[in-house]
Amino acid sequence: MIRGKKSLIGSKTYRREKKAVKFDFLLFLLVVAISSFGLLIIYSATKETLPGGASDPQYYIKRQAIYLAVGIVLFTVIQFINYRKIKRYWWLALVTGIALLASVHFFGYEVHGSKSWIDLKFTTLQPSEFSKIFMVVCLAAIMSKWRTEKECRMTFKKVILSFVIAFSFITLVLLQPDYGTALIYFIVYMGLLFLSGANFLYFLSILGLTIGGIFTALNAGFIRQYQLDRILVLLKPESYTSEGAGYNLYRSKMAIGSGGILGKGLFLGKQTNLSYVPEHHTDFIFSVVGEELGFIGAVCIIIVLGIIVWRCFYIASNSSDRFAMLLAYGVGLIILSQVTINIGMTIGIMPIIGIPLPFLSAGGSNLISMLMGVGLVENVYLWREVRREYDIAFQRYK
Amino acid sequence: MGLNIKVRYKIIIYLLVLILIMLILRLYFLQVMSGELYAELASESITREKTVAAPRGNIYDRNGKLLVKSVPARAVAVQPGIVLENDKVMEILSDCLDMPYREIKEKVEKSNVSYMDRIILKQDIDYASMIYIEENSDELPGVEVIDVYLREYKYDSLASHLLGYIGEISEEKLKAEEYDYNYEGGDQIGWSGLEETYESVLRGKKGKIVYEVDPLERPVGVVNEIEPIGGNNLYLTIDIDLQKVVEEALYRAILEVRQKKIKDTDEYYNVRGGAVVVLSPGDGQIMAMAGYPSYDPELFAGGISEDDWNNLNDPENNYPFLNRAITSFPAGSVFKIVTAYAGLNEEIISDSSRFSCAGVWYGLGKDFPKYCWLKSGHGSLNIVGAIKNSCDIYFYQVGYGLFKKLDNTGELLQKYARIFGFGSRTGVDLTGEEEGLVPDTEWKEEYFAGQPENSVWFPGDTVNMAIGQGDLMVTPLQMAQAYSIIAEHGIKYTPHLVKEIRDSEETLFTDNTVEEYQDLQLNGNYIGKIEEGLLQVVEPGGTAYGVFMDFPLDEIPVAAKTGTAEFYGRQDYAWFASYAPAGNPEYVIVAMLEEAGSGGSNVAPIAEDIYRYLFNVD
Repeated sequence: MIRGKKSLIGSKTYRREKKAVKFDFLLFLLVVAISSFGLLIIYSATKETLPGGASDPQYYIKRQAIYLAVGIVLFTVIQFINYRKIKRYWWLALVTGIALLASVHFFGYEVHGSKSWIDLKFTTLQPSEFSKIFMVVCLAAIMSKWRTEKECRMTFKKVILSFVIAFSFITLVLLQPDYGTALIYFIVYMGLLFLSGANFLYFLSILGLTIGGIFTALNAGFIRQYQLDRILVLLKPESYTSEGAGYNLYRSKMAIGSGGILGKGLFLGKQTNLSYVPEHHTDFIFSVVGEELGFIGAVCIIIVLGIIVWRCFYIASNSSDRFAMLLAYGVGLIILSQVTINIGMTIGIMPIIGIPLPFLSAGGSNLISMLMGVGLVENVYLWREVRREYDIAFQRYK
Repeated sequence: MGLNIKVRYKIIIYLLVLILIMLILRLYFLQVMSGELYAELASESITREKTVAAPRGNIYDRNGKLLVKSVPARAVAVQPGIVLENDKVMEILSDCLDMPYREIKEKVEKSNVSYMDRIILKQDIDYASMIYIEENSDELPGVEVIDVYLREYKYDSLASHLLGYIGEISEEKLKAEEYDYNYEGGDQIGWSGLEETYESVLRGKKGKIVYEVDPLERPVGVVNEIEPIGGNNLYLTIDIDLQKVVEEALYRAILEVRQKKIKDTDEYYNVRGGAVVVLSPGDGQIMAMAGYPSYDPELFAGGISEDDWNNLNDPENNYPFLNRAITSFPAGSVFKIVTAYAGLNEEIISDSSRFSCAGVWYGLGKDFPKYCWLKSGHGSLNIVGAIKNSCDIYFYQVGYGLFKKLDNTGELLQKYARIFGFGSRTGVDLTGEEEGLVPDTEWKEEYFAGQPENSVWFPGDTVNMAIGQGDLMVTPLQMAQAYSIIAEHGIKYTPHLVKEIRDSEETLFTDNTVEEYQDLQLNGNYIGKIEEGLLQVVEPGGTAYGVFMDFPLDEIPVAAKTGTAEFYGRQDYAWFASYAPAGNPEYVIVAMLEEAGSGGSNVAPIAEDIYRYLFNVD
């Protein structure tokens, strides 16, 4: 019976019979729209400055278009797998995620002092981007209803297990070392812990433990001066205008500020097109948006990103089970934390940490992993209506 | 899921909204509230400005012949502050420009002040050096190749005193008020002559290129370009062909006089220098103005070398930079026209009154004999004869009369000297013009302050001054102006060198040909008497007869006066002042030789040569 049902999933017959199956077009369209718009911004940012020694002005937009296509394919593929199955194989996600992060220590190469990249010859891969999703899957599975439970509760056991899993991921990222991405992992974990309904006591003790750990690391000298500077620059921006992290911020603020209300027009940004803003096609892509599209354009982008996050959260709160909820929340938290910190750093209210802006920054790992993440959220939405039948069938199967 | 979960969902949604609002507010602050400030900062931070030199105006003579032209060239400019810290740069430059390292270092060190942002190290560099510097710009911080305009002199050193020279602006000038507009280190400015007087007219307006740079300061595009506007062209009153004749005549005369021995001695005349002015009395236009020795202004094109500069400033070489036409010298008898007019006008003498000259005069007392230049005396003379023979004793008596009238309270001789333009600048458009000196009671008091026995004005002072001696100092140009006043019967023009100024498109905008004049209201009869005397100077028996013997005076009457001024510790200064044709004067010629004895025999030939040229007399 299960097999019979399953064969119908995704088929036209099935959909016709079960009108309840829905697809959140808003989320899908917004994600595709903002990613496509990202292509234009990337083109604008790279057409003249040709970072990385590229010779073709369209090099980056072409690559990004391919990534977008791959991402959409993966997005689609994910829709065919019921997320409940994903929950069952969560350990696979754990193994893959950990293996990916560990692999950079064997096959990785360094960029800006962090060994976070693997060269696959035809393209490069940033495992920490994908592992985010894997961690979210693992955590969602751990924090949701266990088979042994009658009712889902955030027990001490679950908290400890989630802590171990999350900090395995985080530690591996820290070892690269990539503090920025590790911070995102941490925020996502804390967010999930909070949203899973865990007791505040657990929540606060983990937070306290972490802060204590950071201070220990500071005292022990594990954190380098330039990383400290990135935070200090926020406190005293005027004394850091000519070099290092301050230069990035100074130039980025200048680029965005000079955009004014209406911006200088798409493709017409001076500061960004002259590579005055370092990393303006990747981490600082928002400065291009701010300069070329002005306040109006930047606010539009922020609102679109906000709606995407809201859709994730909305789908989470309307999901049919705890795993689905946490999965959608997790993806939403990844997007929200990256958007906040990335945009925040370009406008001088967040420390300069090297993380990409979801959907917009140039780079395949970021775009594809984000599309996969949103794919999972969409999956949650798509499959929520079959819950009852599935549960019944599952019970019988058991 | 429980209420707890629902509450937490709400919290996360609130957090989301809060974050969005925070980002948007921050953007509002950056882009809307400070947008303009950032836009300004942003464009400032990526735009650079470069000035483009404007070609300096050309200088033409009265007939439109090109005298001085601007030619573009390349120069190496350095920022002293940057280069001085970098020995390597100076070494590379030393090799590349073929300049000794020490010279570069000295030059840069001397200019290493905050005021000079840029100095020119070497002008007129060759193409290879330029390419080398531009290609190795990474190794040569603070060094750039700039476009400059150099001067090309079509007639070599002709009229060099008038034209002047140009050179790099100095720190002092850059600080001075008249150079505070749009000047920067490395600029070429006029340093003397017309180049200096007409600096603001000739310099043109610099252009500007505003361009954008990338973070490595490489230019990426031009934002704005303002073309330089070429300077205005000067059209002089000088006739360059005449100038050539004048300079040659002066030079020839100097060489000749240097061969002569002073009478009754074995001593040769030094003839340290000389000057000639040819003036058009009817409008004040200076048609030629020569001084000897002079210099080659070409030496300054591309920056004068230290050796050349020291050479030109060596006293041994008699100050070639000095424009002797506007430098003051003792006047001598050429000044007697002033005494003559003063005497006639103050009724000390009448046109028929006669004095007798016995070679010596005791008018100031037995202990103070005053001698005439002709020891044997001139006998009885009226004013015409006194001028013709340049009789000193006649003019002593006129001077004494002027002194005695009103007990010298009117300082009458000084008054007339000033009416004729002595003691003050003529206002010619040249820098460095001297005032000369008309000595008077006040001057003496000041000059001899602390020497009571010398600080009072004696009758002898007026008597000496009456024959152009004593402390009286005049410039050849002042003398030319005085003679043009006689020639024009009391009309006084300001001598000038620029006839027209045209902009780079040849549009006339300053026309000096219609010159304002001043009518001195002189008595025509007295002027006529003086002219009568001047005409006889070149006639038989006159002091310049020997020189003008062969000159067709019937057709071209020449009114002239010779002069020989004594000066303590020097040989005599020789003068010749003249105009022709009398009655309808076209030219005033004044010539002066330093330490050359008699004006009649040694200087008059210069003027005679020039008149021959001017009137086409063989």
